[in-house]
Amino acid sequence: MRNRIWVIAVIMIAAPCGAFAADQNVTALSVTPAALVFRSPDEGMRVLVMGTTAEGEQIDLSEAARLDPAESIVKRGADGLLYPVRQGETKVTVTARGAQAQFMVRVGDLTKAPQVSFLRDVEPILNKVGCTSGTCHGSAKGKNGFKLSLRGYDPEFDYEVLLYDMSGRRFNRADPARSLMLAKPTQQVPHGGGLRIELGSRYYNTILKWISAGVPYGDPKVDRVEKLEVLPKEVFMHGPSKAQQVLALAHYSDGSVRDVTREANISSNTPEVADVDPSARVKGERKGEAALLVRYEGKFVAVPVTVLNPNPGFAWNNLPQYNYVDELIDAKLKRLKILPSPAVDDAEFLRRVSLDLIGLPPTPEELRVFITDKTDSPAKRRRMVDRLIARPEFVDHWTLKWGDLLQVSRRYLGDKGMWEFRGWIRDSIAQNKPYDKFVYELLTARGSSYENPAANFFRVTRNAKASMEKTTQLFMGVRLVCTQCHDHPFEKWTQNQYYQMTAFFGSVGLKPGFQSGDEIVYDKREDYDIKHPKTGRVVAAKYLVASIGAPPIPNSPERREALVEWLTSKDNPFFARAIANRLWSYFLGRGIIEPVDDIRASNPPANEALLEALTKDLTDHAFDLRYLMKTIVNSRAYQAGIQTNVWNDDDKVNFSHAVPRRLGAEALMDALALAAGSRPKFPEVPPDTKAEEFPDPHVGKDGFLDVFGRPARESSCECERRSDISLPQALNLVNGRTIGDAVADPKGRVAGLILEGASDRAIVEDLYLAALCRYPTAKEYDTAAAYLKSGESRAAWAQDLLWSLVNSKAFLYNR
Amino acid sequence: MLTIPGRKGCLCDGPTRRELLRVGSVGLFGLNLANFFQWQKALGASRLEGAQGFNSAKSVILVFLQGGPSHIDIWDPKPDAPTSVRGEFKPINTNVSGIQLSETMPMLAQQMDKCTLIRSMSYTPTGLFNHTAAIYQMLTGYPPDKVSPSGQLEPPSPADFPTAGSHISKLKPPSEPVLPFVEMPRPLQESSVIGKGGAAGFLGKAYDPYRLYQDPNQPIQLEDLTLRKDVPQERLQERFAMLKGINGSMPDLEKALKDYAIDEYYGKAFDLVLSGKAREAFDLSQEPDKVRERYGRTTFGQGLLLSRRLIQAGTRFVQMNWPAVANGNPEVDAWDTHAANFGPLRNLHCPVFDRGISALIEDLSQRGMFKDTLLVTVGEFGRSPRLGVSTSGNTNSPDGRDHWPYCYTALVAGAGMHVGRVYGASDQTASSPKEKPVHPNDLLATVYYSLGIDPDMTVLNHLNQPRELVKGKPVLELW
Repeated sequence: MRNRIWVIAVIMIAAPCGAFAADQNVTALSVTPAALVFRSPDEGMRVLVMGTTAEGEQIDLSEAARLDPAESIVKRGADGLLYPVRQGETKVTVTARGAQAQFMVRVGDLTKAPQVSFLRDVEPILNKVGCTSGTCHGSAKGKNGFKLSLRGYDPEFDYEVLLYDMSGRRFNRADPARSLMLAKPTQQVPHGGGLRIELGSRYYNTILKWISAGVPYGDPKVDRVEKLEVLPKEVFMHGPSKAQQVLALAHYSDGSVRDVTREANISSNTPEVADVDPSARVKGERKGEAALLVRYEGKFVAVPVTVLNPNPGFAWNNLPQYNYVDELIDAKLKRLKILPSPAVDDAEFLRRVSLDLIGLPPTPEELRVFITDKTDSPAKRRRMVDRLIARPEFVDHWTLKWGDLLQVSRRYLGDKGMWEFRGWIRDSIAQNKPYDKFVYELLTARGSSYENPAANFFRVTRNAKASMEKTTQLFMGVRLVCTQCHDHPFEKWTQNQYYQMTAFFGSVGLKPGFQSGDEIVYDKREDYDIKHPKTGRVVAAKYLVASIGAPPIPNSPERREALVEWLTSKDNPFFARAIANRLWSYFLGRGIIEPVDDIRASNPPANEALLEALTKDLTDHAFDLRYLMKTIVNSRAYQAGIQTNVWNDDDKVNFSHAVPRRLGAEALMDALALAAGSRPKFPEVPPDTKAEEFPDPHVGKDGFLDVFGRPARESSCECERRSDISLPQALNLVNGRTIGDAVADPKGRVAGLILEGASDRAIVEDLYLAALCRYPTAKEYDTAAAYLKSGESRAAWAQDLLWSLVNSKAFLYNR
Repeated sequence: MLTIPGRKGCLCDGPTRRELLRVGSVGLFGLNLANFFQWQKALGASRLEGAQGFNSAKSVILVFLQGGPSHIDIWDPKPDAPTSVRGEFKPINTNVSGIQLSETMPMLAQQMDKCTLIRSMSYTPTGLFNHTAAIYQMLTGYPPDKVSPSGQLEPPSPADFPTAGSHISKLKPPSEPVLPFVEMPRPLQESSVIGKGGAAGFLGKAYDPYRLYQDPNQPIQLEDLTLRKDVPQERLQERFAMLKGINGSMPDLEKALKDYAIDEYYGKAFDLVLSGKAREAFDLSQEPDKVRERYGRTTFGQGLLLSRRLIQAGTRFVQMNWPAVANGNPEVDAWDTHAANFGPLRNLHCPVFDRGISALIEDLSQRGMFKDTLLVTVGEFGRSPRLGVSTSGNTNSPDGRDHWPYCYTALVAGAGMHVGRVYGASDQTASSPKEKPVHPNDLLATVYYSLGIDPDMTVLNHLNQPRELVKGKPVLELW
């Protein structure tokens, strides 16, 4: 019944499309795959037929095309698929929209069809109809006493359960059709999971055939999928309401290929943009980008889908390109019909880049100098970037960032440990230690945490699993947490790999140091093996992915050096890429892969070419993070304004315009101090310490900084730092002590201006520059001056103006 | 006039939400809500107007026992079950004949005539079987659909379904400038997933709870609600007017930030600071010592007392969370008694819970507040009737109990409901409902219904897609 409704729905959608498209002839047809090979009599296969229109648009004609085999060794079924009739080889002519193409078909000896096996034929059915899903028998405890591996990640286990559980009662060898394994999903006996397989259906027949054949397991060497191929490799639609058939092909090591479109699990990561129906047709819903995630027997393929803005009249605006970043971004924007926003003016640039590089807005003096400098703007901006990077506040700002990621906190490290670890990070940043060296020192640290503060890395994680998870998440952007219990549901990572990677950290030991509060990181000589929870066997250390030149792994407790050498190598596919992506996100507000610590095939980058180029640039420049920062902030893409145009106003992922970012808690407090000329005092740090210099979240706990989302440093997750706006924040801004005190400080900026007898105009100008980093407009001068004249006290009036400025959105956001 | 950015679109005739918000915030500092209510009426909850129990409450106190308290050991004793189920506690009589509680709840037993126990709470989880998933289900009415690639629940996301208090503070904003929705004294939490199921989600952060994450047993710091001496009311108003002018001078920024509802927060903040009502509500020192002692000088007890004060001040929805991490250590204060059940319940949890909840019921009753206040006390699930078995994949000690969503108990009172009785019943071992099962969604529907919100209504999510407010039916027999 369900199927029938679906068929009707398809016809209704297809009819108007077909009518419209019929007028449109195509200039060429292409057919993939170029040849089909049939080996079994009931095997169905399909080709993709793509037409090229006069405008160069690729349209899917798979459904509409006529297929004429020269010899009738195959025939087309009602489902549109081709089925073999008899052995032979022939050419098939494809005709659609006035164009023709051909492809080859070969049908093998159908009497010698390969045997049905569990691995190749049955497990995919169990996965497809949901038996192995996490809500059914794939859940950790199984369902109603029957447990399968989650999404069939462990076919061997599933096979054994089916065969030997319940004393083998799942099969009736004498009368295969009466096997419990068929009776349950067809609901001939009650089944909690409902009807899963129709009696007499294709899946039913496959399982029946398999049981009749004596339930063969299959040969893992031959019957395991070697590669999953999805056609087309990319879906590109010239507007919504178009459709594209997708094919999933499983390749096996014996060279055979099978059309598994119907068994593969296909989903869209952004169904609002492009959705996929049960017959694997992708439909454009609205302009934008999505990724199609295709999963089959533990293999994954992500297919990018683009739905173009269908509106006419797009013309490229040829903005200047400052470096390769702009070239790569523009290339993508042009293709997607998105028009980038131009770069901001000097004042806006200086505020933005200062906040991003040193965590502080410019002072009124710095602004005046920069704006009046008549040098050619891009050159002057590059010079400013160099100067900012050389400032001590740059070190403060990035020490804070790494303090978050490495969880510098007296909660884990005690007072002295916390200060030492922070000091080590600070020194590393001050001397611009190459990033690979920085990580090498952290992960190979041994000895007293007071003498070698890098060892604090392991004082925070404390055990092998946590060390491994933190290492992979922080330095590779890969999340392995779930593979502790089962294979990764959306990635190739397996439970084995979790323990193989953990084995590198098995020997890391902690023992009390000689000084109070210290701990010593050492290599354990015994009991350092990591055991697999399922088998109880010792797991040998093994790299997560192979990479060129990775050192052999020593059979001794000292394995970390090898790991880090592999990790920080230029050839490691994750290491440089993860940090390049992370750095980018700090400046553009969003990673090219987002979230930045969830890099996986099913989470494709917004711009692969850009991420690749940034990664290569970083490795070519010896992991010099400052160099990469410069490249990023010197690009036009970074300097783009927040103003949008009709072609980019809903672009959120391609960096065609800037997105305002709320200042981080510490930067907000420091910007306020600069604007008001007054800094709050904290007993834990010397007077006049910037919030960005605070060593850990214990300074000023539960106050302004925490309300504004300072990370508690309880994990390495970037998500800990919050940048949203909430009612308590608004209350704090409107009425809290931090702003109230700063504005009214008798030694602050307002008091200074009044005491030195500044003119109304000078006061207004100085406050605008100090708070918003721009000159007031003529109208703003007038409004403010009029207000001044109306009040009794100029000081009170100026305080009100300053209060309003630091409460404005232009102050709260980096824009 | 404050213009509040919002999402376009409405399912029905009448003003859009944008227009509605303009109406709701007429003038700089006063929420003029008369128009709002009129409009709401016009919108037509009228289908249910006059139905039994509909619109019987103005406000709700939700005492949310995160961690999953053991129903058998608290309010659904099974003295005739085998030892492996019955546990160590004996039943006691209550002031309603025929209703027994566990001996751990002697003070509540004396208030049984003022409340109702639903002993047939039940649902079967789809997907993850952990606290956060269950909390999300209980408070949003939807199972968590999103599990991170790492197999864990995602942290709170702007696309999440809204928690009940957020729906309510949007659909029934308070008529006075008070905090519409207060959550205390700590967030919902399981391990590192904090606040899932406790936020406004797709309604936007403007409807997030006011999070008073402080210990109410200590003096509460409300700096942000107290006017500064040097900034009297008029001066604050002048500042606000100037601020509007400055924001208005940067239209591109306004446009880029329009989804963040910043003006809305500022508007609310002003109202709150200027009225002073909320501030007073938080001042527990205004309560006589005797009352404070009756509730218990604990975080939980004083939190319940504060809940009552907030309701008196006009707050619509107070959510008092059990002050421990859901999967915290049961030997300290968490309800998650895998490792140890009886000792902690007897000596730690129940004395605090019993004293507090009985005081609240007695107090609300004496003050006549039950007339229009609904009290709901429930956790995200109960605990396994059989001791020492694993139902969630966790390890349990021989005297521990694992997660059990298939059958547990909720306490309800007020809003004109029948009291002094038990609704529904569990089977011999409290493993599944024997009759009248109540799904968490039905409980949520009951809460909405009692506040005059049609549980069958549709709301729009962040993509303007219509979503059911809740897929459940109110339990009409409670009235």
